[in-house]
Amino acid sequence: MATAPTPHLVFDGVTKRFGSVQVVEQPFDLEVARHEFVAFLGPSGCGKTTLMRMVGGLDQPSSGEIRLDGEPVGRPDRRRGMVFQSYSSFPWLTVGQNVAFGMKYRKDLSEQEKAVRAERYLDLVGLYEFSDSYPNQVSGGMRQRIAIARTLAAGADVLLMDEPFGALDALRREQLQAELRRIQRRDAKTVVFVTHDVEEALFLADRVVVFSKRPTRIVAEIDVKTRLGEERTLEMRDGDDFFALRREAIGVVRAAAGGEL
Amino acid sequence: MTEGRVIPDAASLPATRDAGLRRRPSAVGGAFRLRAALPRPWGAVIAVASSIAILALWEFVARLGLTTPLFFPAPSEILAAMGRMFSTQHLAWHAWVSTLRVWGAFLLAAVMAIPIGMAMSGFRPVGAALEPAIDFIRYLPVPALVPLSIIWFGVGEETKIFLLWLGTFFQLVLLVADDMRRVPNEYFETAYTIGASQAQALKDVAFRAMLPSLIDNLRITLGWCWTYLIIAEIVAADSGLGFVIWAARRYMKTPEVMAGVVLIGVIGLATDQLLRAIHRRAFRYL
Ligand SMILES: Nc1ncnc2c1ncn2[C@@H]1O[C@H](COP(=O)(O)OP(=O)(O)O)[C@@H](O)[C@H]1O
Ligand SMILES: [Mg+2]
Repeated sequence: MATAPTPHLVFDGVTKRFGSVQVVEQPFDLEVARHEFVAFLGPSGCGKTTLMRMVGGLDQPSSGEIRLDGEPVGRPDRRRGMVFQSYSSFPWLTVGQNVAFGMKYRKDLSEQEKAVRAERYLDLVGLYEFSDSYPNQVSGGMRQRIAIARTLAAGADVLLMDEPFGALDALRREQLQAELRRIQRRDAKTVVFVTHDVEEALFLADRVVVFSKRPTRIVAEIDVKTRLGEERTLEMRDGDDFFALRREAIGVVRAAAGGEL
Repeated sequence: MTEGRVIPDAASLPATRDAGLRRRPSAVGGAFRLRAALPRPWGAVIAVASSIAILALWEFVARLGLTTPLFFPAPSEILAAMGRMFSTQHLAWHAWVSTLRVWGAFLLAAVMAIPIGMAMSGFRPVGAALEPAIDFIRYLPVPALVPLSIIWFGVGEETKIFLLWLGTFFQLVLLVADDMRRVPNEYFETAYTIGASQAQALKDVAFRAMLPSLIDNLRITLGWCWTYLIIAEIVAADSGLGFVIWAARRYMKTPEVMAGVVLIGVIGLATDQLLRAIHRRAFRYL
């Protein structure tokens, strides 16, 4: 181990109130390293989505600050890409056009470069043959891949994913999780991934941050990287290590939910 | 060989559930099952056959002398009147004049309603400012405003365009605002997170997302334009289909009155079908 990695993303005493509704009451602190995959795991309504949206610049903290590379984040821009659970692709564009849409407002690339990049990311998520199909002609899993490819093509450093696989069936979900992890390692992205599925969090993340129900605070951090390593394969999911970790984690999450699962 | 057993089991499942309906297996009975699909050519065949049947019945009743021709002429007589009007009374020119008025007022209403409606639902203060006035005017009956329109604009083209615009703009602007309201937030936010400005998100995403329902609403509004056209042309005009109908009424030429009405129906139907076809082609992704 060399020097400690410089944090890429920092939550510094963040709170959030919507009118009279205090969503994040106690100042929230967290550091995410560059190229780290962090999963937010916690009961529904505890503020995971709100925290992520603030990173994206779609909501502003009521107090405190979120910093990316040492700079406070402001309005949304293409360095922080979002993947939503639903309405994640535009139905009027073909799959290929959806991916290329990620670069629509980039002035630093020529049309030629954009075309090459679009193809590359289509290929990366395995959608090359579906380039000319419309999103409603492909499966829900493919629609989420479109969104991932679009965000990557846009040139995001940080991927913000809010239960992106929540609407998929179990098999597609597993497959997409494995692919996402592969892409994240290959393209070296920092990822914040919101989920309420323990297994998904453990399989994907380097570190799982477990939230309590409101008033929201971090009740545990699970260092998955040390336990399972960085390489994640579908076979691992059936292994004893994963199984043991999963049992531990479920215990932690149950305690966090305070018997309200 | 479990598969050999599993498949027939699965197939028999719906059969038992549908047992009550299966007792009446005739094709006609099947077509009247609630929301049952109709094989492709049958819809058109039924539509044409029923239209012909109604016309035939009408013709038959008229020829038997059961109706007075002055009130209820036979379809053949109406058709003959239409032919005469085309050859001697410039019916095609009148239809053209009416069509121009409808499209002129309709395009004016659309060009104004689309940006204003989008602004009303996109920016809360704009919506709050405009909605009361628009909602009020929307409920004013257009015929009641004819005298006012004549005082303002005289009896020329302006009055006709104004009345048509009045009847459609205020409805359309609220429909547009509704279309825009239904654009999912995720679309805007996706656009922002790839670097779009507000204006770009409106133009490249919101407008595109709402386009199919916008076109549908335009199509429906265009139909209303024809309704108001007749009112406008009856009151103050020396051209157009409304004028033709009203002039024929004065001399109790019922077949000509009906010919004018039928022609409006035909133009409306043709335009509607054309726009539907364009809609289907343009929005294949739906
Ligand atoms: N725009 C908003 N206005 C008011 N309350 C909100 C808003 N967004 C979220 N909330 C509330 O904040 C709480 C946390 O929401 P959220 O961040 O979506 O939780 P999670 O993603 O963990 O389920 C919920 O109780 C929700 O009702
Ligand atoms: Mg959420």
